[in-house]
Amino acid sequence: MADLSLKHIYKVYPNGTKAVNDFNMEIADKEFIVFVGPSGCGKSTTLRMIAGLEDISAGELKIGDLIVNDMEPKDRDIAMVFQNYALYPHMTIYENLAFSLRLRKLPKEELHNRVVNAAEILGLTEYLAKKPKEMSGGQRQRVALGRAIVREPKVMLLDEPLSNLDAKLRTQMRAEIAKLHSRLNTTFIYVTHDQVEAMTMGTRIVVMKDGFIKQIDTPKNLYNYPENKFVAGFIGTPQMNFFEGTLRKDADKVHIDFAYSNAQITVPYSMLYKVRPDYLDGKTPVYIGLRAEDVSVNSQKVKNSKSTVKVRISHKEELGSETLLYGDINMDGDGYSESSTRIIIKDDGNCDCKAGDVIDAALNMERVHLFDKQTEESVLPRLPEYNYLQCTVQNGIMNFYGQNTELPPAMRCADGEYGLLIPTDAISEGGDVAVNVKACEEINGKYLLSAELNGKMIYALVTRKITEDTLKLGIDLKKLTLIKDGEKVIEPMPAVNRFNGSFVKRKVKKTAEINGKTKTVKETEFLMALEDREFVVNDGLARKLFAALGVKKAFTTPLIIECGVYDIKLSDSGIHASAEGVLDYGNEKFLKCKIGENAVYLLTDKQYTGEVYIEPDFDKIGIIETQRDIRII
Amino acid sequence: MNLDYLKMSPPEKFWFNFKAFFRRLPSAFAAFFKAIPKKLYKIWLAFAGIFINVGKAAKNGDWKTRTSFGIMGFGLICRKQYLRGILYLFFEVLFILYLVFFGWKYLAKMGSLGEVARVEGRDPLTGIVTYTYYDNSLLILLYSLLTIFIIAAFVYMWYQNVKGNLLSQEFEEARINLPTAKDDVRSYANENYHKSLLAIPVLGLVVFTILPIFFMIFIAFTNYDKAHMPPAQLFQWTGIDNFVTVLGGGISANSKVFAFTFREVLLWTVIWAFFATFTNYILGMVVAILINKKGIKFKKLWRTILVITIAVPQFVSLMFMSQLLSDQGLINKLFEKWGLIDQAIPFLTDGTLAKITVIVVNIWIGIPYSMLICTGILMNIPADLYESARMDGASPFKAYMKITLPYMLHVTTPYLITQFIGNLNNFNVIFLLTGGEPSTLEMQFAGKTDLLITWLYKLTVSESQYGIASVIGLFTFVIVAVLSLILYNRSKSVKNEEEFM
Amino acid sequence: MEKKKYRSKSVAERISLVLIYAILIIISLVWLIPFVLLVVFSFRGESVGISADYIFPKQWSFKNYITLFTETQFLTWYGNTLLVSVVVTVVQTVIVLMTSYALSRLRFKLRKPLMNIMLILGMFPGFLSMTAVYFVLKEINLTQNLFGLMLVYSASSAMQYYICKGFFDTIPKSLDEAARIDGASRHTVFVKIILPLAKPIIIYTVLTAFIAPWGEYMFSSFIMLGDTDKYTVAVGMKSWLDNAMLMSQGYFAVFCAAAVVVSIPITALFIWLQRYYVGGVTGGSVKG
Repeated sequence: MADLSLKHIYKVYPNGTKAVNDFNMEIADKEFIVFVGPSGCGKSTTLRMIAGLEDISAGELKIGDLIVNDMEPKDRDIAMVFQNYALYPHMTIYENLAFSLRLRKLPKEELHNRVVNAAEILGLTEYLAKKPKEMSGGQRQRVALGRAIVREPKVMLLDEPLSNLDAKLRTQMRAEIAKLHSRLNTTFIYVTHDQVEAMTMGTRIVVMKDGFIKQIDTPKNLYNYPENKFVAGFIGTPQMNFFEGTLRKDADKVHIDFAYSNAQITVPYSMLYKVRPDYLDGKTPVYIGLRAEDVSVNSQKVKNSKSTVKVRISHKEELGSETLLYGDINMDGDGYSESSTRIIIKDDGNCDCKAGDVIDAALNMERVHLFDKQTEESVLPRLPEYNYLQCTVQNGIMNFYGQNTELPPAMRCADGEYGLLIPTDAISEGGDVAVNVKACEEINGKYLLSAELNGKMIYALVTRKITEDTLKLGIDLKKLTLIKDGEKVIEPMPAVNRFNGSFVKRKVKKTAEINGKTKTVKETEFLMALEDREFVVNDGLARKLFAALGVKKAFTTPLIIECGVYDIKLSDSGIHASAEGVLDYGNEKFLKCKIGENAVYLLTDKQYTGEVYIEPDFDKIGIIETQRDIRII
Repeated sequence: MNLDYLKMSPPEKFWFNFKAFFRRLPSAFAAFFKAIPKKLYKIWLAFAGIFINVGKAAKNGDWKTRTSFGIMGFGLICRKQYLRGILYLFFEVLFILYLVFFGWKYLAKMGSLGEVARVEGRDPLTGIVTYTYYDNSLLILLYSLLTIFIIAAFVYMWYQNVKGNLLSQEFEEARINLPTAKDDVRSYANENYHKSLLAIPVLGLVVFTILPIFFMIFIAFTNYDKAHMPPAQLFQWTGIDNFVTVLGGGISANSKVFAFTFREVLLWTVIWAFFATFTNYILGMVVAILINKKGIKFKKLWRTILVITIAVPQFVSLMFMSQLLSDQGLINKLFEKWGLIDQAIPFLTDGTLAKITVIVVNIWIGIPYSMLICTGILMNIPADLYESARMDGASPFKAYMKITLPYMLHVTTPYLITQFIGNLNNFNVIFLLTGGEPSTLEMQFAGKTDLLITWLYKLTVSESQYGIASVIGLFTFVIVAVLSLILYNRSKSVKNEEEFM
Repeated sequence: MEKKKYRSKSVAERISLVLIYAILIIISLVWLIPFVLLVVFSFRGESVGISADYIFPKQWSFKNYITLFTETQFLTWYGNTLLVSVVVTVVQTVIVLMTSYALSRLRFKLRKPLMNIMLILGMFPGFLSMTAVYFVLKEINLTQNLFGLMLVYSASSAMQYYICKGFFDTIPKSLDEAARIDGASRHTVFVKIILPLAKPIIIYTVLTAFIAPWGEYMFSSFIMLGDTDKYTVAVGMKSWLDNAMLMSQGYFAVFCAAAVVVSIPITALFIWLQRYYVGGVTGGSVKG
């Protein structure tokens, strides 16, 4: 019964391969988390790190309020169920269940009660005197679960517990584990390679690949809003159809051209509002993803649909309740191999088409997914990063969609037309931009506001659920980008400064009172050497460095220190820098300084020139180790 | 592996591999010699690392750490890690006491192996024999070697002490709690459990195996023999004289005979090992296949009959056999009585016949073992292999050649290698059966069936030729090691190239 | 047609079966006859040298057994061997188990080097290094002493780890992990989980360790040189065979009686625990 926090967890093997990369996650109490991904994706390694069976190379793992990185598995208050059950073959079921309690020297009575209780929950009472080898696979799995629950652990870890069972038993045990979860009220972390298992059991699912988290979300959101092509393809059967193609914007319409095929459809631009404009040039290749159920050959639907393509049917799979039609939108394609023109259609069984037929299929473009061809990231994200707008600048006044804003001195630019990028997190409540609220949805704890500004849809990240119809919004000007002829004329101010640094220690003499006498004692101080200066830092920071690097390596490893523009201040004892000028954003002013080649920005109130001394706030810094490319804080 | 290769017939494949082997040879040699500097560099790095670490401790250490350079464990004691600290200190004191009161005396004389020979004196009145003070070369060599080992161990301990002190200083400075004595003790049941488990086995290995081997190597460079027997006489370093003698380069006539004997015995040893290993293996497999054939009843009975013979101590069967087969033994006597022969068949007294007898008796001794092993493996061959072979139309013989034999060879390669090495050093069969006889004047202290190991036994136990014996022992070791390393590497490469199934 | 073919095949098969039975019977005879002879000779009542030209005794008697237990030192030797065997068995089993567990389950820096070193040490002619041990033993007055022999036998026990480690390797690692999560230290895992599961291999180790001293001649003859009170059975019985005078007095039959007495308990033990022995031998020889 505890929450878990995984911060920048890495698993790096001595030969340099990273099995787990920067794993970040907060797991709330009583959640049922599923790690899913193909074999070798790092899911089991992560679980074993949580269990303490594998060392954590870097990062911070908390169970409850305790940092458990260096704790032995037995002290972490976790229980684990293994794929091959790992029952002690020489002990009876009773002894198997009692083993951990005996090691903890529980009183006899309580031990007995707990064992019997657990056996009852799992229906094992009559088998208590048997040995594991006398039991079937399903029963053994139940014993393994029982051994975990007798300990009443804070966290239950399950490592592919069902993969040794046959299909029927697996479904049954799946239900039983779900029941157990609701009954025990503890946190479950469950590893599987089976996406169906993941979808049916998890409250939240972590999809992993090659050591990276691909997406963390609820089953429903994973299905409906995959953030990348991998998740889109991994979740759901039959697999999502992926076509290669390009998007071309033409006034308020977007033409979608499918590659290797003559198929082309046109959709209103409003449907693809969230797509970044540079994907709409008709040249940039994208993957167009559509699930089998979003393609229909139902004659009624085809008649009503504006977006249809011709499909040559190659074969069918009858599944009883429904039929899967396999075809190809390329008339020469074979429809069997997985290509970028193959299409799978879920049909309700009404279609009487046969192999070789060419028929029309309606695409439900409301549910289309678009992915960049190179990065495979979604270009139609659920949470858009930017608003893509147009503006004109005249006499230092920026005009967009009837909205006039005076550009601050730092953003002065020549008159003319510009492309305008406003990050969604640069728009907040309270300001002078009046909009009509269209919708406000909660996505992973954030609120996405869709609003209309004189006919133009804009998106903003807000802090609460907006219920009003109209709202006044403010824009943080320093985050804007103005583009002319493909060149960034005005760039947003960097939010983070980076310094080269290293960690050092030093002996200092201090006077301290010991037994009423004043004595001079030597004490070690920890310092962060940044550029040409050293700053004393607190022990907490030092401890995190020691945990990640060891007491020796912490002092020899080059580090990069990150610090936000608000978390840095002028200080007489700070790093020596030369002031380059002030960026005036109206309500805020920022001082731009240079340390060598490195530019540093910080909040300021007045003009400085020449030499200045700056100091970051060490409570808010981030630290990156460059050798293994690992984020420590 | 390409398609052309797969198309070839077996002789073509062999020829192809044969050519490829010699074509690869130069580059393999080049690679081997190229790898040497890298290896050396690695060793150098490891070696330099020690000095770097000590240097660092000297530079970064505080006065407590530096003091522990001299007084071991000082820093640990100051930092309240009493248990470890006191143990280090205890070892240091023990070491110094050992060196001062015992080790040094011997080590100082190691160069000369002692100079004062024993002089016997008789008390004229009582007639009691008294000895003057004398040096014992053997003890000097033995104890100085021991002292060198102890010094090496101490240096290692000292290095650990320096590292440990520095680490504890670093922990203290990092304000991380140092492990207490209780933690230390507990860690020996957990992360340091291997130390608890291996301490005694490794100590046994060092004292009773490694130390004697070094002793033996040193003895090979001395003239320790019948004429130089401590304590009555001293022996001296003689450089590589013994090696020269054994290889036939010595001036004495003795040396020629030694070299001849060595060659003969070595040749016979290898022939013996080869035949002893493979006759046992192949016949054992045949017996196992016969017993396991479908349709044969009383499988367990046949097997048990053979297994019983394993249970009877080998020395009993061997000595009994030697009696039966001797010139006056039962077999000869019976044959004579039945009129089959006029004079005794020299089973054990004719050189060539004795060699054959030894191999045959070894078959009798060894087949039950190899039968057992082959039975176990035969039962493990997946039945579907045979089924699919039958579907493909293979006759039982074909199935045996294509499935059983390759499978067995693949699986039992390590067993064959250990058997071969074991037979190279097979003392019992030869010594208890023939005692190395028949003897011959052509050879020095060796008979016609003597193996290197039995020759060694005679050289030491009855002839006290320790120096020469050590040289032969070293050669034996080199031969066995080279042979087995080649075989192991071959079997490893076989394994990697074509994992069976 | 079909039927005929089937039948002819069956005849061929029957012939081959008969042949195999014949071979097996011959093999059994060849292997058993020497032991039968051994037993028969031990009951020979008349005293002839080894050069008797008949098999069955002219007069059956227990004389040789009586001689064995009353006139010879055989009982002492038997006791010596038994004592050495038992001590060596205990020490060797413990050492082999500890070494195997450490090498199979624990991961430490020197694991691989240690295994390689033991492989190479195993190639050394053990006898030669024993001369050095002999001198040490002599120095501390342990030659012609059973304790010295025990020391020599159990000294390099660690090198026998191979088969046992192979067995440990087959025990799933997840058992260790499960136990560690259940709160066991590595020591507890070893004692409470691995050892109970290692029964077959423990029995195998005990069996081989116990039998070895009974048949060992090389070391024991060297260390006990000349002190007949401290002989083991192998050395003692060989000393009879080497003594021409004894042999001519019909000691060959006494030798046979001694051999029977030595063989019976070991054979019984062996047949009782045969299953474990076979398992160990086949398992150990297969793993590379």
